[in-house]
Amino acid sequence: MRMQKKRFGGFLAAVALIGMVLGSTGFAHAQAKEVVIGVLYPMTGPSAQIGIDAINIIKVALDIINNGASIDLPLAKSKGLPRLNGAKIRIVAVDTQGKADVGQAEAERLITQEKVVALFGAYQSAVTTTASQVAERMGIPFVNADSSSPALTERGYKWFFRTSPHDIHFSQVMFDFMKDLEKRQNVQLKSVAILNEDTTFGTDSAKAQEELAKKYGYTVAARVPFRSGTTSLDAEVGRMKSANADVFLPSLYTSDAILLTRTMRNLDYNPKLLIAQDAGYTDPKFVTEMGKEAEGAITRAPFALDLAAKKPLIPAIDAMFKKLSGARDMADVSARAFTAFMTLADAINRAGSTDPAAIQKALRETNTPPEQLVMPWTGVKFDEKGQNIGVRAILQQLQGGDYHTVYPFDLAVKNAIYPTPAWSQRK
Amino acid sequence: MFNIPSTEVLIQGIMSGFLMGCLYALIAAGLSLIFGLMEIVNFAHGEFLMLGMYTAFWMYTLFAIDPLFSVPICGAVLFLLGWLVHKGIIRRILGAPMLAQIFATFGLGIFLRAAAQFLWTPDFRQVAHPLVQGPIKIFGISVGLPQLVASGASLAAFAFLYWFITKTETGMALEATAQDRQAASLMGINTERMFTLGWGISSACVGVAGAFLASFFYVFPYVGSLFGLIAYVTVALGGFGSIPGSLVAGIIIGLIEVLGGLLIAPAFKYVAVFLVYLIVVLIRPQGLFGKF
Amino acid sequence: MATTGSAEEMKRERERSSRRTIGFVLMGLLIVGVLLFPVFFRLPYHRDIGIKILLYGLLAQAWNILAGYCGQISLGHAVFFGAGAYTSSVLQTAFGVNPWLGLLGGVVVAMVLSLLIGYPCFRLRGHYFAIATIAIGEIINTLAINWEFIGGARGLTLPIHKDSLLAFQFHGSKYAYYYIILGLMALCFYATWRIERSRLGYYLRAIREDSDAAQSVGIPIAKYKLIAMAISAGFVAAGGTFYAQYLLYMDPDSVFPLSLSILICCLAVVGGVGTLWGPLVGAAIMIPLSEFTRIQFGGTGSAVDLLIYGALLTIVAVFQPTGLVGLFRRWGGR
Repeated sequence: MRMQKKRFGGFLAAVALIGMVLGSTGFAHAQAKEVVIGVLYPMTGPSAQIGIDAINIIKVALDIINNGASIDLPLAKSKGLPRLNGAKIRIVAVDTQGKADVGQAEAERLITQEKVVALFGAYQSAVTTTASQVAERMGIPFVNADSSSPALTERGYKWFFRTSPHDIHFSQVMFDFMKDLEKRQNVQLKSVAILNEDTTFGTDSAKAQEELAKKYGYTVAARVPFRSGTTSLDAEVGRMKSANADVFLPSLYTSDAILLTRTMRNLDYNPKLLIAQDAGYTDPKFVTEMGKEAEGAITRAPFALDLAAKKPLIPAIDAMFKKLSGARDMADVSARAFTAFMTLADAINRAGSTDPAAIQKALRETNTPPEQLVMPWTGVKFDEKGQNIGVRAILQQLQGGDYHTVYPFDLAVKNAIYPTPAWSQRK
Repeated sequence: MFNIPSTEVLIQGIMSGFLMGCLYALIAAGLSLIFGLMEIVNFAHGEFLMLGMYTAFWMYTLFAIDPLFSVPICGAVLFLLGWLVHKGIIRRILGAPMLAQIFATFGLGIFLRAAAQFLWTPDFRQVAHPLVQGPIKIFGISVGLPQLVASGASLAAFAFLYWFITKTETGMALEATAQDRQAASLMGINTERMFTLGWGISSACVGVAGAFLASFFYVFPYVGSLFGLIAYVTVALGGFGSIPGSLVAGIIIGLIEVLGGLLIAPAFKYVAVFLVYLIVVLIRPQGLFGKF
Repeated sequence: MATTGSAEEMKRERERSSRRTIGFVLMGLLIVGVLLFPVFFRLPYHRDIGIKILLYGLLAQAWNILAGYCGQISLGHAVFFGAGAYTSSVLQTAFGVNPWLGLLGGVVVAMVLSLLIGYPCFRLRGHYFAIATIAIGEIINTLAINWEFIGGARGLTLPIHKDSLLAFQFHGSKYAYYYIILGLMALCFYATWRIERSRLGYYLRAIREDSDAAQSVGIPIAKYKLIAMAISAGFVAAGGTFYAQYLLYMDPDSVFPLSLSILICCLAVVGGVGTLWGPLVGAAIMIPLSEFTRIQFGGTGSAVDLLIYGALLTIVAVFQPTGLVGLFRRWGGR
């Protein structure tokens, strides 16, 4: 009995030793045949659908890059990355669960174990904060498509690049619109009421709006943060009714946006204008389920599906996306992710190497022309803080159950409806 | 700091709070019932609600049955679930330390949440065109029709529960078991069967609540957490084991939630609710109508 | 015992003593393994898991003092974690206080907070107390979200300094972090061990078993509950400061949420609540499991990891309420 135990123990020890040695050296990767990128998104939790959409559009991008496609993009013309001898891109997608500490741990794991050459993600601003901090510490480029907190590009980081607009850009276009609308329709808008959910997104958005309101000369009749994921929005809508402002500015995620719309209807709240800070309002789910009810709601958007007429890229990519997404159209999150990912891939290609510093340099030199973008931007070009200065935010309004671009007026596909019809006047 | 709303908004708030409160009460009733019977808190209660909502949603999506008519179905499905949970899990932890009891149901809750996400994705679901929707005017004040119907059903359910417990033999046996398990068993009441029945009824209540909630609230795997938390506070405020207590407490909490939001700030709605709970429970530890 | 049983007795005694020897040897190996862990596991990711095990083990052990030994089930322990994290961080960012002093500050704040909470709430029984702790946790979480001074919803980022023990920050590798948390955990472990064997422990267990009887015998139960609460809170706060220095970023959602309070309890319960080793065992098993399932399955978005987690929790609670430590004890023949 004892002898058996000893031998078994010895065997165990040997296995353990071998395991430790193997574990600490890691596995050697095949050389230069592939480029590995780490992708961080929430796959579980309330924002899980966002993560799934992002991964799907990245798969579309990978298909285009790795297998070529008859699409008018430089990287679609050949298989793999031309300046890396046709090396293909592979992603390692991880679930951040929407948590900052998980984002940090995963970022480290991706860099040190999966040996990624760049990181991509991560939607929630709090998660992007910690994950990009790791990248900065370790000298790996971090490309962000969709976190709109302005603070992210105010940290003095050298390895962080954001392709999309942030809250100040977005909020600014809202106020520009209000001023231009006043001129066009010869009306006067005096006050705004701000409602925001209380995470980083809502708080930053509301802050930007409050400051801009004062700058543009509007009174802030109410500034109401609320607990995200609340069971009812009756009190919140009551506060908005009390404030009786001309323009209602909500910053909410999808579930709250749906609840808000229904509550506004039930409690008969009729602001003249509703301009939303994207997020919930552009979620395709919201549009499908609430499109008719939320008639007249305006949202800022970085992306407009209805510019397809002017941009043939859009329907082409959309078709590929629909195959993976189960007939959901490309929308805000997917469009931003696609654009940012192509930017990163293009930079790696221009760098001609997988050396992080070379990729960083190539990112700095990015200068993508608008024809290669699905976005209504003037291009992709990063300033010294890592922020893309070619961004343009647009406003879209729900008309007849669908979003249509209404501002800037030169890009508008339809005229803005003003004022939003009251509930009692609707069918 | 204080915001004084107009009279219309105030009355609207009070009405909305009352209506929502009735629904909170129904959700809490089952929790209270179980505790009264066997001194166990079902920490998966929120997930039961979530399953009730999903049942209603799938009845609608697959069979075009409006949530209003799925009420009996949801009640039955959840009754079965409660029965199964008791037989499979609860029965085995009746004598266990409180910690084990808490975590048995808590683990179940996590499991159910994850299962829902696994089976039905984390996507938010909505009953797109429920029969009851939109506003209704009462004395010229606009409130939500779904909330009105839900609260009406909830009050009806409470009436039914009251009748059941005081006027039927099974119900009286249930009440007797709750009051004194040993005496009841000496009188020939099968306590095991009472427990199972209690779990069934409790879950059925929450299933019914879920069906009504599905008419106007979005359905997703984590929806139970929000309502579950309020349910625990409601039960504690009303007094563990007291069903009429849950009704009163539910309405109080509904009112505080809305009025706290209107008068102080929506960000602190739940702070107000929890503070009230703390105050009541410190002055009167057994809650409003509790037995301990 | 009859003389005919003496041969069997001797055999059993030999088995027991050989099991004990194995137990000691394993224990020795474990201690050596824990001490040398960073030497064998050099990848930051592995060290991160080791650190997490120790950190959550610390939190679970601290909770165990109050809940396991004293029987007061707090489901809002995250408030002390956040209190520790925020106190030391705010002291640092607003007043330039060194994080080690900040750690002490956090411990003090948490202890005071625990007394403020415990004094009124210990009057409550069982489930009422548990729910009160949830309520307080949520209140504090909401207040933190809305308090601009500590960063509100946006959270607090700590300034980056060069690697140094004094500044409590290290960037190159993690092994310094590992040993710090090992030290904190060992301290908590030692405290628990001492409590277990002291009169305090005796009183706490008496309160847990039957507080009415304890009171009638003259034990001042309020006082001892508060002591247990304060010790527990202090250790959790220390963990909070560590977390803050480890991540260099925090927001209310990461340090105050109900899910963290629940996680702490789960680890202790699965491991074996009321035992000395339970919380650490629970952490050592559950944390890697969680990480593993997240990496293997989580990426596809199907929540398989939580599925396993929940099932395991229920199974342990139903079939082995004394936790894994109870299981080992059974095997060990005690």
